[in-house]
Amino acid sequence: MAQPSQEGRQKAEMEENEDAAITWSDETGREEGRLDEDPMNKNVGVGEGEKMVHPANTLEGDAESKIENAAMMEESGEEVQPFAEEEEEDSVVIPTRKRPEHIIPQVEIGDRMKEPLVEDGVQSKAESSGGGWGSSLGSWGMSLISSATATVSSVGHTLSHVVEKAEESLGILSPTELSAEGEETTQATVPTEEAGGPAGSEEDPVVKEEGVEVEGDEKAFSHGGAFGMLGKLGGMTASSITSIVQNTSKTVITGGLDALELIGKKTMDILAEGDPGFKRTKGLIHRTNTLSQVLREAKEKEEQRLAQQDEDSLAAPKAHYGLLFDEFQGLSHLEALEMLSHESDGNLQAVLSSLSGEDLLRVKAELDEIKSAMILEEIDVESDVVEEKDEKEQDLMNIITELLFQVHIGVTPDKLNRARQKADAWLKEVQEDSTPKEAAEGLEKEEVVKPEKKSVQDVHSLCIQSLAEVTARSIEQLHKCGELILHGADPDVSAMQRAASLTRLTVALCKELSVKSEKFASCLSTVGAQEKPEILNPLVTSVFLEASNSTMYIQDGFQLLLPILQLSHLQHSATPLAPT
Amino acid sequence: MLCLKALMHPTPPPTPPPHHSHPLRVLVMADCPHTIGVEFGTRIIEVSGQKVKLQIWDTAGQERFRAVTRSYYRGAAGALMVYDITRRSTYNHLSSWLTDARNLTNPNTVIFLIGNKADLEAQRDVTYEEAKQFAEENGLLFLEASAKTGDNVEEAFLETAKKIYQNIQDGSLDLNAAESGVQHKPATSQPGRLPNDTQPAKDACSC
Repeated sequence: MAQPSQEGRQKAEMEENEDAAITWSDETGREEGRLDEDPMNKNVGVGEGEKMVHPANTLEGDAESKIENAAMMEESGEEVQPFAEEEEEDSVVIPTRKRPEHIIPQVEIGDRMKEPLVEDGVQSKAESSGGGWGSSLGSWGMSLISSATATVSSVGHTLSHVVEKAEESLGILSPTELSAEGEETTQATVPTEEAGGPAGSEEDPVVKEEGVEVEGDEKAFSHGGAFGMLGKLGGMTASSITSIVQNTSKTVITGGLDALELIGKKTMDILAEGDPGFKRTKGLIHRTNTLSQVLREAKEKEEQRLAQQDEDSLAAPKAHYGLLFDEFQGLSHLEALEMLSHESDGNLQAVLSSLSGEDLLRVKAELDEIKSAMILEEIDVESDVVEEKDEKEQDLMNIITELLFQVHIGVTPDKLNRARQKADAWLKEVQEDSTPKEAAEGLEKEEVVKPEKKSVQDVHSLCIQSLAEVTARSIEQLHKCGELILHGADPDVSAMQRAASLTRLTVALCKELSVKSEKFASCLSTVGAQEKPEILNPLVTSVFLEASNSTMYIQDGFQLLLPILQLSHLQHSATPLAPT
Repeated sequence: MLCLKALMHPTPPPTPPPHHSHPLRVLVMADCPHTIGVEFGTRIIEVSGQKVKLQIWDTAGQERFRAVTRSYYRGAAGALMVYDITRRSTYNHLSSWLTDARNLTNPNTVIFLIGNKADLEAQRDVTYEEAKQFAEENGLLFLEASAKTGDNVEEAFLETAKKIYQNIQDGSLDLNAAESGVQHKPATSQPGRLPNDTQPAKDACSC
């Protein structure tokens, strides 16, 4: 093979691709285009899950911290006064220390008051991530978030019910009503208060103010109400209050726990509901039957969107994985691999249908053997090859080369290697750039990288670009393997051996991608250290998202090799069954 | 000097992607020893004001890869059959390529015959008239081009794109049907359909 000339051509092609990539790429729109059909919606679902668990966490954490506070107060019983004076915010504690039972309703009321807060939290999270999670999840993500919010708020209702019930049993006015007279009442009760009174009245306004500042009106009102209630309680006899409060607190605690449990359950339900993203995607793949078609559709949507955007404004194009993946011909290779795979499958079925009896059983068993050799171990569980050396990526490349050699088809991973090296080169450069302030630029580098210091967006583009390129090259590698296994490969190597090597190869490629994505992410974090999390986080997230997408594509590509290997097995097996 | 796959290079400057439709898959069949299986390229051509993206599948002409490349014929909107005007052996492949192309692609797939290395007039081994006649007999478009000088290269792609576009417009080429037909149909390359042309490919192409 006159390799060099081809290489030259490839190089040119790659360079061209890079140019094109820069012009065409766009980040923000990608999600719209792709997420609907994205095979990795599964991941999104998981991400989502974390989000949705959040409210529950908040609640729990809140309750815990309050209880901790209370406990702390009990312990520090002696230093009541100074503490109360210092800790304005904990003023509620002052009456409660005298009557510890009060803590509980306070806690729960506190929680109840947090309810709107928690919901707000969810919403504002959804909003604030509008540029990141929100848009990156597309409308689907948003609907998931809003359903989560709805659930949380319904749970919130339950909780407020409990609290209201508790309040009713205390025989007091609703917080809102209380708030109206809160101040007055509190002041009125001040003289009769012995210990809690003065502290309460002093701090009441303060708390109110803070409430206004921090949580808004509703909370302020609640605070007022709470204080009003306490003031009233102060007027009652201690023992009756104690018993009422004890009962109430039990109800409230039980109710609170129920509510937490409910939140947990609901969250799980929603997660399960959210998972259809994955199912849907799988379904979609089944419907259209080919991954490349799905990807292509997604890419086309993105192109259309881009086109519209072009007319609207000349927004700076950013990295769009789908477009880049196509630019690097990943899509074409995947499509070609699919064609090979389907054709092989057809031939395979034709051969099988021509068999009967023992022959059929034997052949089927052999084919199943190949199939089971191609079950990918979980990627986390490093294969024996990878685990010793996963620190050194160069070795990883050697492993890939070696495994390809074992496949025995006369392919070398040159292009893949180059793609990797390119990624490493810019990584290094960016890291050098970002450590000293004005580092000397690598002038001779031919990469697309610009000499000036890169912004987070630039680095992000590079990340996505590298992921797309490495993935495209990996798919190309698998495609070439497929071609050569079917035609022109050394028949001395059994399909079984190839299956085993290719399996390990795929694991190694996926491993490589995950190592890369971690590097990218850390590089991104370094460069974007000064950026706001709202800007940085979505970028980092998208790197990981695309990395897992990449892994998915490679694994899908790998699965396409199965019928090819099976057919080649039949071609080369002793019985001349298959047509060549 | 160059195989037709080199027609894609030097590549045109990056153009914004076309704003509509699937890319049109165009096969290039050329006897070039450097291609293993298939290589890809893209080219964006403007046809009657519309940008059309050609997705070029550059298939290896070598005999030993013919079995592989046959897998890729289906779904192609167009095919460029390239021979070298200075080597008759490459011209002799044409009939078997044509058979493949006809059998494995949509009946309305545009097939374009291209005589490459038109710059090497002195070494011409296949006359223009002969090839022209072959093209007419078989209903092929025909051009002589030079990948080296770039003569007629753009024209070849442009003509192909135009013709495909025209076929799509008048409904004779339904790409969607062709595309979907591709993936779901079982393989068509059955045993017994061996290439008529069994002569070993001479890798004499000087690229």
